Amino acid sequence: MTTTKHNNVQPLGDLAETLGRLLKNTVFRLSLVGALLFGGSLLVAQLIVYDRLVSSEERRVEDSLRAELAELETLFARGGANAVQNAQRNGIGADDNADNTAILQAYFDQGARETLARVVTLRDVSPDVYSMFVFKGAAVGKLVTDEIEDQGINAPELAKFDSRDLLREDAIALVESSDGDEAEERRIIAIGHAISENNKKVGVIFVGRDVENIRRTGERMRSAMTFSSLIALFLGILSSIFVARRFALRVDILNKLATDVQAGHLDRRAPRNYSEDEMDRLAEHLNGMLDHIDRLMQAMRYAGDSVAHDLRTPLTRLRTRLETAAVEAGENAEADVLYAAAADADELLGTFDSVLRIARLEAGERRELLKPLDPKPILDDLAELYEPACEDAGLTFTYDIAPGLTIMADRGLLSQAVSNLVENAIKYAGGGGGTRIHLSAQKGQRGRIRVFVADDGPGIPVFDRERVRERFVRLDKSRTLPGSGLGLAMVDAIADLHQAELVLDDGLGSEAILAGQDDHDGRPGLKVELVFPRAKNVRTEGHSSEP
Amino acid sequence: MRILVVEDDEVAAEYVKKGLSEAGHVVDLAADGDTALEMANAAEYDALILDRMLPKKDGLEVLTDLREAGDATPVLILSALGETDHKVEGLRAGGDDYLAKPYSFMELLARVEAIGRRSDPTAAVTKLKVGDLEMDLLARTVHRGGQKVLLQPREFRLLECLMRNAGRVVTRTMLLEKVWDYHFDPQTNVIDVHISRLRGKIDKEFETALLHTVRGAGYRLQP
Repeated sequence: MTTTKHNNVQPLGDLAETLGRLLKNTVFRLSLVGALLFGGSLLVAQLIVYDRLVSSEERRVEDSLRAELAELETLFARGGANAVQNAQRNGIGADDNADNTAILQAYFDQGARETLARVVTLRDVSPDVYSMFVFKGAAVGKLVTDEIEDQGINAPELAKFDSRDLLREDAIALVESSDGDEAEERRIIAIGHAISENNKKVGVIFVGRDVENIRRTGERMRSAMTFSSLIALFLGILSSIFVARRFALRVDILNKLATDVQAGHLDRRAPRNYSEDEMDRLAEHLNGMLDHIDRLMQAMRYAGDSVAHDLRTPLTRLRTRLETAAVEAGENAEADVLYAAAADADELLGTFDSVLRIARLEAGERRELLKPLDPKPILDDLAELYEPACEDAGLTFTYDIAPGLTIMADRGLLSQAVSNLVENAIKYAGGGGGTRIHLSAQKGQRGRIRVFVADDGPGIPVFDRERVRERFVRLDKSRTLPGSGLGLAMVDAIADLHQAELVLDDGLGSEAILAGQDDHDGRPGLKVELVFPRAKNVRTEGHSSEP
Repeated sequence: MRILVVEDDEVAAEYVKKGLSEAGHVVDLAADGDTALEMANAAEYDALILDRMLPKKDGLEVLTDLREAGDATPVLILSALGETDHKVEGLRAGGDDYLAKPYSFMELLARVEAIGRRSDPTAAVTKLKVGDLEMDLLARTVHRGGQKVLLQPREFRLLECLMRNAGRVVTRTMLLEKVWDYHFDPQTNVIDVHISRLRGKIDKEFETALLHTVRGAGYRLQP
């Protein structure tokens, strides 16, 4: 079976469908935007903290390094290479500037232990400050390079003493930990400057500082920021879905309610949770509105029923009196008048009846009565009923009803609608010079069923075709003919109840006119068509689609 | 026939009573459901005319009670509620016929006489005879004066309905309901046209007419 294949495809399709539905959901979109805004501001706040704590600390370190570098340069400029020797000779404290003491000592104390030609000073002044003093000794350049390289600094480039003035390097220093053996890799920032003597670059001064702790703090903060942002985003999406689903569920309930009410179930009400939130208030107001509509409908029905009782009863009495009087009068002219008066009362009662029936049809009370049926026997019966009447009226009646059609309909209402159409055709086409009436039922497009009555009478002008569906509307031409203007209104109401479309179009005359055989004096005729929707999943009466 | 009319509208009830009496029937009146039940239990009626909307006890309840008590008196239900589903409700509750207000008196009379007659134990007839007109319901043939009359199926049913009610008025609405099963009144004279065709087949070539038009009411088949 195809179902197994279907099952495999289903989850993906479902997911895509769910996503599509979610994205279409206004509430989801709104709360998602809210969540993104929240996540965004969280990120901004964290970035500000990061900047204050980490970036500014690094800037501070760089600034102090620069200051130290400048001091070393000054020192070097004052004494040149000899400064080192002097310093070595004089020992510590040659410079009485207390601030410089540590650094100077570091350089000269340390440097003095090495061969002057290639002094490299690199040592802790304080636990996190590294300083280097590099001399260019042509013979030993390589060694200097190696030593610097050991610090993770891009030594070959430095060794060339290229034209760069200020050098800034992120480097890694191997530091022996306090308890001895283990060498720990720590990150340092080092800045250096090429130094010259007699316009000849002779060395590089480096100052570096351990920034491992700052960097680690920064890394921890960055990962914390990423993690918390992701969590915020995830929770945001989750809560959006939750809110949207919850909201959609409640909206769906209201939608279902509206559909039900539209289908004629005026007794349905929206469920309430009495939380007084906006959805609850909407439900409350909807219910109030429905109560009001219900009251109005009941008032209308009550008015209708009481009119039926209060007005139809005396009318009926009047009619009975007239009838009785007519029978008593026997066969004379007086009786004719009485019978005519009784017929007038009948017409009045009939009109009244039709109005009530249309009102009830429009209220959709009888929609449950619709069931799948084949229109052929019904239409055949009607054709048989009207064929002789048409002939008597001098009209040719033809019909052409396809077998095996299925529509959702009520037999009585369908009969009434088509009967009204045929009677209109007899009245207006027959009275307007027409000669033909055709009744037809065919399969239309997309499984719809078209039932139509066409004639070759005078037809209805295009601009009047909407208007004639309304109650009591009669076109000027037809005012002289008997009728109440309710026939087509009733058909319209019946069509609505069947969810069928009522279409008015040119009738049989138009074909002849188009074919150039205008024997109709330009009369297009009228075609009134009922287009029934496809009866879903039903074949014949009594077999529903349910297993 | 002895007929019980259950109707709360006094004026209407009096008119119905007067009309039925003039047509040769004996009429009693009841104004509410309880009284109606008492009267129906106390005496044998040939037919009941029952308004659906009654004070104290609804017409349908009266009918249900009657049927539960085993009373098979033919009942014609009257109502201002003219919709088909209400009619179905009434018939399901045990009514024999249903007439929506407003009705003409002729219609009421014709229907009461038709259901009163239906209670005769002659329902299983296979042959109908009116004057020299004979109908064989099994062979589905019609003869008049020994001469075969060819009828369309619908004409046959039309004639059958008239013959079953021979001597009584059958209204156009009754014919539409019983022969075509339509519950609306066409504006045009469709029934008249069918009757005139039938008349052409059964009366035209014979000296005496059997099918009579009753003015303001309907038709009657009578020798």
